[in-house]
Amino acid sequence: MDFQAALGLALPLGIGIAAIGSGLGLGMIGSGAMQAIGRQPEAAAKIQLAMIIIGALAEALTIYAFVTMFILSGKIGG
Amino acid sequence: MGLEFLARVRRTTLWVGALAAIVGMTYSGFAAGGGLAAGAVWSLVNLFLVERLVVALTGSDRGTPAAARGAALALAGMLGLFAAGAFLLMALPAEPLLVGFGFPFGVMLLKACSTLLLESAAWRRFTASRWQVALAVALLIAATWAIAERSVAASGGAVAAGPSGAAHGDAAHADAAHGDAGEHGASSKPTMFPNFLGVVIEANHGKPWADALHHVEPVVFSLFVALLLSGIAIAANRRRALRPGRFQAGVELVVQGLFDFVASVLGEKHARRYLPFLGSLFLYILAMNWIGFVPGFHAATANINITAGLALCTFLFVQFTGMRELGFGGWVDHMAGSPRSAIEWGLVPIMLPIHIIGELAKPLSLACRLFGNIFGEDMLLVGFASLGIMMLGFIPNVPVGIPLQLPFLFFCLLTSTLQALVFTTLSTVYLLLMLPHDDHGHEGEAHPAH
Repeated sequence: MDFQAALGLALPLGIGIAAIGSGLGLGMIGSGAMQAIGRQPEAAAKIQLAMIIIGALAEALTIYAFVTMFILSGKIGG
Repeated sequence: MGLEFLARVRRTTLWVGALAAIVGMTYSGFAAGGGLAAGAVWSLVNLFLVERLVVALTGSDRGTPAAARGAALALAGMLGLFAAGAFLLMALPAEPLLVGFGFPFGVMLLKACSTLLLESAAWRRFTASRWQVALAVALLIAATWAIAERSVAASGGAVAAGPSGAAHGDAAHADAAHGDAGEHGASSKPTMFPNFLGVVIEANHGKPWADALHHVEPVVFSLFVALLLSGIAIAANRRRALRPGRFQAGVELVVQGLFDFVASVLGEKHARRYLPFLGSLFLYILAMNWIGFVPGFHAATANINITAGLALCTFLFVQFTGMRELGFGGWVDHMAGSPRSAIEWGLVPIMLPIHIIGELAKPLSLACRLFGNIFGEDMLLVGFASLGIMMLGFIPNVPVGIPLQLPFLFFCLLTSTLQALVFTTLSTVYLLLMLPHDDHGHEGEAHPAH
């Protein structure tokens, strides 16, 4: 298997696996936020803000994987 | 058709002349574009002088010494203009000058024809039905495209820009061809939507200044956004009224909102001090992200260099603030984990490198997060737009497409805003962590997990 075939196999798999992790993480963040809002609807705005910020942090890890994929995908078909 | 008609002709000619000059300079070199501009300006000055002369000779105050003076000045101006024209003919090629000279007259002719047309009964009948108008516009665009293609193929020049109506789709297809043709080997760069600068660079392919411009393309767009925001800020600060007008009130709304947001993290005292940096950061990143959705422009943050620059600025600002607030010794102490007991002192050799790496990881993550998100959005939109073009690929030679990226535009608008917010919030939090923690007193302050 030459390196291009290996890259072609590994890159989409890498993104997919990274997406699993951030999917789980974001789901947990969302569920925690929902429960907190359910308990205290007055604090909804603060909780929403914190949820969005932490969501962006969790998503960043998948973005790193995405960027790596893009850099390496240039090497395929070279 | 009075004098105000001539004023409108002047205004229109200035716009037309500027546009024609830019197009001419892009596709035929500086001499041609400069000739067009110079010819148009010369013709406008000529028109102005003739107008003054006629008004002086036939106006309501003819025969008075003031009118005679005006007529004499106009005649003297015409002599000067004649000399200027001779000089121009020596310096610039003749055809562009002649074409530029004809611009005001062309504009006058078109304005007169359109006035005649728009007030006729036939036009009213035609525009009564929307479908007729839409069909006519579509046929017009198709005809223009066919003619342009044929004429450009005949002259063998660069691909004409064509009518930039409808979706981004058309131009993305042309740019895909450009992108492949303009590659100097190396790695295959992903397709992007075309922008104003890209068109200029492609048309002047191979010239050294075009290659240099290609390298600093994102910087040009970021500078443009910076100038735009500075202009808005300067304009809002003129004639600051105690009872503000709409524009000033709008800007004050934005600043107040940003202040409340920063104060909710840093506390009022610190917020007042650090609002300029953090607020500008938010607005700058937001503007750069949003301008990517305007056709013809490019989001500078879709380039790692720009985001790395922003993250570096934030990193240096936070560290410098730490050194200033805590003193240099206090800053090192903070980096070592603020050891107070013997155990903590013993752990310093571990804590210091860990904290330093942690501090270095923060700007890295900021840069990569912003770049990845905005670049990813761009790729998403390009992907769907290309798909839309491929779907209509069975129509030969007409690069239109179904704008499939439209629903994603709204999603990307949201995520662009979010990423600007996240960048700013994280910068604020890093600043908070660096400032001396007051243990009692600050209510309404978020307690972030380290």
